[in-house]
Amino acid sequence: MTGHLKSWPIVLALSILSAPLVLMYVYLFIDTFTNAPPGSFIPNEFTLEHWTFLWHTPPGRLSIWRVTLNSLMFATSTATLVVVVSSMAGYVLSRLNVPARGFFLAGVMVLHAFPAITLIVAIFLVLQIVGLYNTLIGVILVKAAIDMPLGIWLMKGFYDTVPWEIEMAGIQDGASRFTVWRKLVLPQVKPGIFALGLFAFLLGWGEFILPQVLAPSGNAQVLSVYLAALIADDNNFDMALFKSVGLFYIAPVLILFFFFQSYLMNIYGGGSKG
Amino acid sequence: MNASRDIAQDGSAPFKARAVPARRSLGWLNSSKGLGIVLLMPALMLVVLFFLAPVVLTAVFAFTNMSTATGITGGAYQVSPGTLRVLSDRYGMGELAERLGQPTYIVDEEGLAALEEMGIEPGIIAGLRDDHLGETYSSRREFEREIRDLPDRPSTRTVKQISAEFSRSLANARFRNAGALVAAAEAIDPDLGDAEKDALLDATYTGWTWTTDNFRRLASSPQTTRVLLNTVFFVALTLTLFNTGFAMLLAITTHYIPERPAGIFRIIWFLPRISPAVIYVLLWKWLAWDTGFISAFLDNFGVRPRNWMLGSATNAWVFVILINGFVGASMGMVIFASAIKAIPQSLFHAASVDGAYRWQQVRHIILPHLKWPILFVTCYQTLSLLTAIDHILLSTDGGPGGATEVWSLWVYHTALNNYAGNLQYGYGAAMALVLVIIGVVLSLIYLRLFNYNALIIKPRIEH
Repeated sequence: MTGHLKSWPIVLALSILSAPLVLMYVYLFIDTFTNAPPGSFIPNEFTLEHWTFLWHTPPGRLSIWRVTLNSLMFATSTATLVVVVSSMAGYVLSRLNVPARGFFLAGVMVLHAFPAITLIVAIFLVLQIVGLYNTLIGVILVKAAIDMPLGIWLMKGFYDTVPWEIEMAGIQDGASRFTVWRKLVLPQVKPGIFALGLFAFLLGWGEFILPQVLAPSGNAQVLSVYLAALIADDNNFDMALFKSVGLFYIAPVLILFFFFQSYLMNIYGGGSKG
Repeated sequence: MNASRDIAQDGSAPFKARAVPARRSLGWLNSSKGLGIVLLMPALMLVVLFFLAPVVLTAVFAFTNMSTATGITGGAYQVSPGTLRVLSDRYGMGELAERLGQPTYIVDEEGLAALEEMGIEPGIIAGLRDDHLGETYSSRREFEREIRDLPDRPSTRTVKQISAEFSRSLANARFRNAGALVAAAEAIDPDLGDAEKDALLDATYTGWTWTTDNFRRLASSPQTTRVLLNTVFFVALTLTLFNTGFAMLLAITTHYIPERPAGIFRIIWFLPRISPAVIYVLLWKWLAWDTGFISAFLDNFGVRPRNWMLGSATNAWVFVILINGFVGASMGMVIFASAIKAIPQSLFHAASVDGAYRWQQVRHIILPHLKWPILFVTCYQTLSLLTAIDHILLSTDGGPGGATEVWSLWVYHTALNNYAGNLQYGYGAAMALVLVIIGVVLSLIYLRLFNYNALIIKPRIEH
């Protein structure tokens, strides 16, 4: 289609535009493993000193492993909750004859577009009143609820592609609607469940503002809040340390993205916030 | 979507399920309606708890003066020099305030019981009860003289102990509820009027109360206009320059280069979106800090190192828009790229044969096909940007000097986190309510933009 048109000028222009981004991410790796003389950005020695945070916990901070465990629990719990709730509700909206189905479907679309972060003041106060402030359970529930409309929407799309014949055959054989869903339809949407789970996990892993507001301190701290607190501490400015913690934090994201980019690009493009 | 619509319209007769003698206990799981309601329940509960209730509560909280000072769950009644001043200044009850504020000594059974517990000689207690029960003294000296005159003649130390037990002053006293305060006040001044009681309760209450002041304050504050303009500026510029403009540029340019480099560029431009906000903004800080890359690089050309991100309001805006724009561009890029891919190849071939330049192809083939995707992205990203907070909070935090403070960040600084430590929940809720209303309206418009009826497939199993 491009035929007689050359593409190298475009590649060159795009390369120049992308240079700052590439520079930032390349130096994220370089700076954590090397030292450079002051005022220069060309490293002159290899070092692991910026990674001592892995086994040495500074006073007044949680151990990095504890924080990582929190992040892991936060991300997996929200992902599980989103997947379970969405795979149930998505099936109803795709297939079942419930009253006001159109209304529910419209509701999901509105909720999907609605910026739930505006509700954070009310949610903050409610969690304080019911005693879930500064707990992981509180943030997990809130995060799962916020991600759920997108999850339902995606799962409905996946269910829509399953042929009706599978269900009809199941019912002909005398299975209940529940059994048909559980045993016949659910296995058909396994790729969708996987994609949604992965996506929700990454959303939870990267989430900052909710844990920052709803569980900022104590034992519920997650990696994003930990790193932000580290950076905000004016007494210990150490860019190489920040980057090392940052690389530790972003590594699972980069690895998952590397392996499953086609899955993820579709979902991100389909409309996540940002 | 198209596929599902085809299925919905392919015209085959609805399938009637055979009446199945299912296990009775699971009958409700065997009808579309029963199973549907059960499967929807968890989602509905989450929606009610974390969407509907917070929307209502935001409106409710907006009409209160809740803050760190008042607490959230209600308050107590605290008498202090300050509240007594309020009583005399605001309610014109200076006399009452003076009476309540003065030390008062009342000989009552409660005090006598306390004395017994302390192990004071029974004779002294009996003497007090017989001669002075129910009497009130307005000065310590007068009361202590009476005690010294008792038949048992207590020592000076004991006199002090005794007088302390009968001190019934309200000054600096704290009461858990209105009843306790009124009872204590009546002990000092038995003929307290209703108006005086109400004034006392109002003046000493430390909890939150209902008010419409938040909205009045919001409407009259000069900061409102400033933050509003900042928000409009930020949303409009980021949206046009990056979320649609630059996204379109990326989608179109990657369309015209071979698949391999195109894929690499798409991945590069996706990095900001998949990166957690904290680390992504940190990388920008590394670029812009006074010891960062830009400073060190420009140092070679004699430019003095400085903080490029917070150096001036203009710089701060440039970085805020770049940081948010780079994240926002990827969504448009993916959507526009798939829209371009859906354009029939024959159109491009025909144009090539006619010798059309790339620009002409873009102008006459690609752009007309992007009309709906652009509308979609604009609509969606307006909402996201309006409430985007993570990246600005982490990069400039509204600085320098509030130059990049946008509405959602203002809510955060008012109600959730600020240096002063006085969080004004009620005022913040009023600000958030503005965003909630805009959010609801724009989401409904967003819904109208889609022909969502086409998305509803009629169930083909009627049962």
